[in-house]
Amino acid sequence: MNAGTAGNGPRHTVLRRPGARDGGFGEGDEALRVMERAAGVDEGKAGLTEGSAGQGEKPAQRPGVKPLYLGRKDRIAEAAEKAARRAFLADRVARLGIWSLSALALSVVALVIGVILWNGLGTALSPSFLFGKPEAMREGGGIWPMVVSSFYLAALTLLMVIPLGVGAAVYMSEFAGEGRLTRLVRFGADSLSAVPSVVFGIFGMVVFVIYLDLGYSLLAGALTLTLLNLPTVMRSAEEAVRSVPVSYREAALALGCTRWETVKRAVLPVAMPGITTGAILCVGRIVGESAAVIYTVGLFVRKVPWSPLRPAAPMAANIWHMYTEGALVPDWFRVASGEAAFLLLLVLTLNLAARWVAGAVRKRMGYRV
Amino acid sequence: MSSISREWLIKRILLVAAMVVVLGLAMVVYFMAKESLPAFREAGPANLFSATWSPRDGRYGMLVFLVGTLTTAAGGLLLGTPLALSLALFLTQVAPRRSRALFSRGVEILAGIPSIVLGWLGFTMLVPWIRKLSGSSGSGILAASIILAVMVIPTITAISKDALEAVPASYAQASLAVGATRWQTTWRVLLPAARPGILAAVILGLGRAVGETMAVAMVIGPASVFPTSLTTPTHTLTTKILMEMGESTGVQRSSLFAMGLVLLLLAMALVLLVRRVSGGPFKYGVVE
Repeated sequence: MNAGTAGNGPRHTVLRRPGARDGGFGEGDEALRVMERAAGVDEGKAGLTEGSAGQGEKPAQRPGVKPLYLGRKDRIAEAAEKAARRAFLADRVARLGIWSLSALALSVVALVIGVILWNGLGTALSPSFLFGKPEAMREGGGIWPMVVSSFYLAALTLLMVIPLGVGAAVYMSEFAGEGRLTRLVRFGADSLSAVPSVVFGIFGMVVFVIYLDLGYSLLAGALTLTLLNLPTVMRSAEEAVRSVPVSYREAALALGCTRWETVKRAVLPVAMPGITTGAILCVGRIVGESAAVIYTVGLFVRKVPWSPLRPAAPMAANIWHMYTEGALVPDWFRVASGEAAFLLLLVLTLNLAARWVAGAVRKRMGYRV
Repeated sequence: MSSISREWLIKRILLVAAMVVVLGLAMVVYFMAKESLPAFREAGPANLFSATWSPRDGRYGMLVFLVGTLTTAAGGLLLGTPLALSLALFLTQVAPRRSRALFSRGVEILAGIPSIVLGWLGFTMLVPWIRKLSGSSGSGILAASIILAVMVIPTITAISKDALEAVPASYAQASLAVGATRWQTTWRVLLPAARPGILAAVILGLGRAVGETMAVAMVIGPASVFPTSLTTPTHTLTTKILMEMGESTGVQRSSLFAMGLVLLLLAMALVLLVRRVSGGPFKYGVVE
């Protein structure tokens, strides 16, 4: 709104301020308007402004409203003070809201960890449980084959996913320019990372278990999990590789290294902490994965599966087995709670280890990314 | 071998590694489509997308499960997003500077907790609570939404935190310099500036909620009918696939793959949406 249109319609006449008469809105009026608005003062009602009969007449008094026919400076001051008070209050309220909601969210984290560990840690850390043979129809069984299955599966998967992921990351950051191909790869990685794990599970069942005739086996599961984890590993490796300063590459190239030699001698060693962190976190995801494992690896075994072509039962899948077929194991609740606590402990440890390893390697190399 | 041809070979090998994701995606799409073909051919789309699941009578409708997936995911987002956003603001604006790293670690840990463990917690603690409070069976959309809220919090928090941190400091400085309070700065400057990132975060959270299987499976039911309330059993697409894949054959099995195909297309649609919203490739993968 400006002074030129001020007299054109009833709306504008109502909103017009005394100052409008003499030479349009000055800066003071503009500021007043802004402040009034900030203060939430309804310009028509609060008596801060006058009506169309502005010149000389007293404004009509309204019940409950302080008659305000103050000087302009006073009005500005009052509006500003009001705005400031409101803003201060809003700030306080918002801060309180953020604090309390965040406290709620963080206490959920604490609650989850606390309850799981409280219910199962005693079981999980007893050697007879961890290293014991599983029992059916009888109490007191252990989970040793499941523990081995989980780690075996993780090892097999890492063996495939790390070379693939790091290779892809190196290609994307060191060899490929921005083009149709890289866009395609990125789209593939984005989409693959969004595919629900149960879809990977039934895909692995069809392709690896049935079509390639691997049967329910660690290898079938590892192939499935390779595909599932590839985008994430690729992403963390690419981040690590890209964070290596360009000067390292330039130095190597200037010494006559080829591209690959540069990557091998200058880039990958420096990117190693990041890649290692990614790999350790990947182990956490593999041992925690169950939906993609149930139909590719198996749910329950009696003996330790030493061959990658044998069915196995990672802990995560075994918890599901206890939940669905619990009747076969009288103390299924104890077993599942123990496994859940052990898994959680494992993931927490891996999480800490990932940071620690990255820090240690970085320190030793005297290099900070 | 000369170093030129070795370079050439290595570049080709690395290219193959990069193409594995594309190939993998293509294979997943192909096999889902191929395996669900019999269902489309023999039962027909009208049957597949109807609301009745009763394989014995030749009814393979997935509508109940699709609705289950969407309602639980919406519930999870509804509960989780406010918590996650305030957590992101807390970690970037409000929390004492020294403790920010510690709290961030807490959120990261939540992201790393296996879904089966959260499901187990839901089954052993949450469902009995709801059962006691509501007098119903306890499992259902409410329990699933609460568990999903816990699962989407780390995703949404981490990505919105990144988005908030990416806003140039000068924006906030300018706003504070003209006398705006912290909250005014946050609400009028930071949040609008970070909006694309926050939107992407919420969509990615939705993706995680839609695809979650184990945690939901332990608290949702099971029942293959529309729930009559928030605390009566039902199913989602993922849990239905999980529960029945083991013991189904023929058209029934194929219709489970059709559900997988729907999930897959849903996930890819969300990916495209995120790219649209955030104007480029987003940070994919599990939040670390």
